[in-house]
Amino acid sequence: MPGPRARQAFAPTGVGRLNAPRPALVEAGFDGAPRLVNRQLVALVREEWRVVDRWWTEEPVDRRYFEVVLESGQNVCVYRDREEGCWFTQNA
Amino acid sequence: MIACLLIPGFELRAALRTRPRLALVPAALAPDVGEEQLLGPVTSTAEAAGVKPGMRLGESLATCPDLVLVERDPGAVEREWEEVLRRLEDAGFAVDPVEHGVVVFETRGVERLYGGVQPALERALAAAGSAWDPRIGAAGRRFTALAAASVARPGQILIVAEKEEKSFLEPLPLSLLPLTNERYAELEGLGVRRIGELAQLPGGAVAERLGVDGRQAWRLVRGGRKAKVRGRKPAAELAEALVFPDAIGNELTLRRALGSLLERLLARPERAGRPFRKLALVARLVDGGSWRRAVTLRDATAELPRLRLALGPKLQELPAPILELRLEATELAEHRGQQLALVEPAGEEAAGRLREGLRQVRASTGSGSVCSIVEVAPWSRIPETRALVVPRDV
Repeated sequence: MPGPRARQAFAPTGVGRLNAPRPALVEAGFDGAPRLVNRQLVALVREEWRVVDRWWTEEPVDRRYFEVVLESGQNVCVYRDREEGCWFTQNA
Repeated sequence: MIACLLIPGFELRAALRTRPRLALVPAALAPDVGEEQLLGPVTSTAEAAGVKPGMRLGESLATCPDLVLVERDPGAVEREWEEVLRRLEDAGFAVDPVEHGVVVFETRGVERLYGGVQPALERALAAAGSAWDPRIGAAGRRFTALAAASVARPGQILIVAEKEEKSFLEPLPLSLLPLTNERYAELEGLGVRRIGELAQLPGGAVAERLGVDGRQAWRLVRGGRKAKVRGRKPAAELAEALVFPDAIGNELTLRRALGSLLERLLARPERAGRPFRKLALVARLVDGGSWRRAVTLRDATAELPRLRLALGPKLQELPAPILELRLEATELAEHRGQQLALVEPAGEEAAGRLREGLRQVRASTGSGSVCSIVEVAPWSRIPETRALVVPRDV
C-alpha cells in the first residue's frame, strides 16, 4: 500500500479556482435564513441576495446568499446551493 | 496511458540490501528518531507473525519478541531509488517520482518503440529490476493506475481499460484515498468501507459531512480529472565523497572535510560555471546507518563562503560519528551568473529578489507550488469563476 504522501500526490493538481466555496455547517430557520453557522449563533443577517445563472447549461447555478454577523463579531458570507441542497461559505 | 510502478516497503528493502539475511527473519524498519514510535514497513516473515506496518513499537515487540529492528538508512534509500529512476529513464520513460517506491509515467511516447503498452510496461518492470518485486498498474487516470498497482502481485502488470475503471475501483478499500484517519473512522462509522459505496453517495452530502477532503476523495472515486504526467528534470550527477579511516565526530574536522568537498565540487568541469541551487549532505554513520540532509539555497550560488555558511550548521545535526561524508549537487541553476547594471531601474532589485525567492520555494517544494492568480471573468456573478490559480514557471 503506498504511503500517505503518495496518496495525496494522486489527488487532482494543477489549475485551481480562487475563492472556491467551502462546505459549512448551517442550521436554518423557518424562513430559510441561517441561525447557526459552523456552530456559532448568527447575531444579524446584514444582506440577502440570489444568484441564478447558467440555467441553460448542464451545471446551472442557483444560490441564495446571506451576509451574516456571528455572535463573535465575525462577518461571514454563506449560501445555500439549491441544486445540491447544501450550505457553503464563500467571500462574495 | 498512465502507468504507476510500485515497490512496497522500498525503504526497508533498500536498508536490507547490505544485510539480505534479515529479509528472511521477522524484521521491521525502526521508527525515526524524534518521531512517533510507529513501525515502518515489515518483512513477510514479520507479517506472518502478526506484525503490521504502522503498529506501535511496544505492541509489535509483545506480538513478536524476535522482531529485528532495522535502522533507517536514508542515504541508501536515496541512492537506490535514484538508480531505479535512472534505469527507467534509460529505457525511455519520462518519470514523475511521487515518493520512494512510487513513480508515475506516461506510456504514450514509448508504445511505438516497444510495440504496444504491454511490452513497454514489461520493459519498465525489467528496468526497475526483479529483485525489488515491482508491480505496475496502468489506466487512463493517475488514481486508477495507483489503485491497480496497489492490488497487483509482484512482477504483475495490471492494465485497466477506460470503460472498466468504475467496476475496477468499486470493490477496493477506502485506504487508497487521500483522507485522514479521522475521516476513515467517520466513514466506517457510517458503514462506508468500499470506494464504490462512497461513489454512490451524492457529492453535496459528502462535501457537507466530510468537508473539502471528502469532496476531493469523492471526485477521485468518480474517476477524477485526467491530468498529464510531467517527467522530472533528471538530477545532476555531481557528487564528491571523503572516506575517513576512523570514525569522526569532531565538529572542526567535519567542517574542514566539508570545505574540502565544496572545493572539489566547485572545481568539477561538468558544472560549466553554473551555481548550485540545491545540495545534499549524506553521511555513513559508524553504527551502519546513514544520514541525509538536503539544503535549498535562497540564492543559487557558487561562492565558497556562502556555501559553507549554508551547509555548516547541518553538520551539528549528525546523530553519531561518521565514516564517510558525501556532498551531492542535486540541482544546478540554469543561469551562469547575474549581469549587474551600473544604474538599476527602480524596483529591479526587489523584483529580482522576489524571482529568486520563488525559485527557491519551487526548488524545495516541487513544481506546482508557485502559482499566480489570473483573472478570467472579473465581472462574473459567481465568485469562484472570477479568477484562477495557475502554476507558474519562475
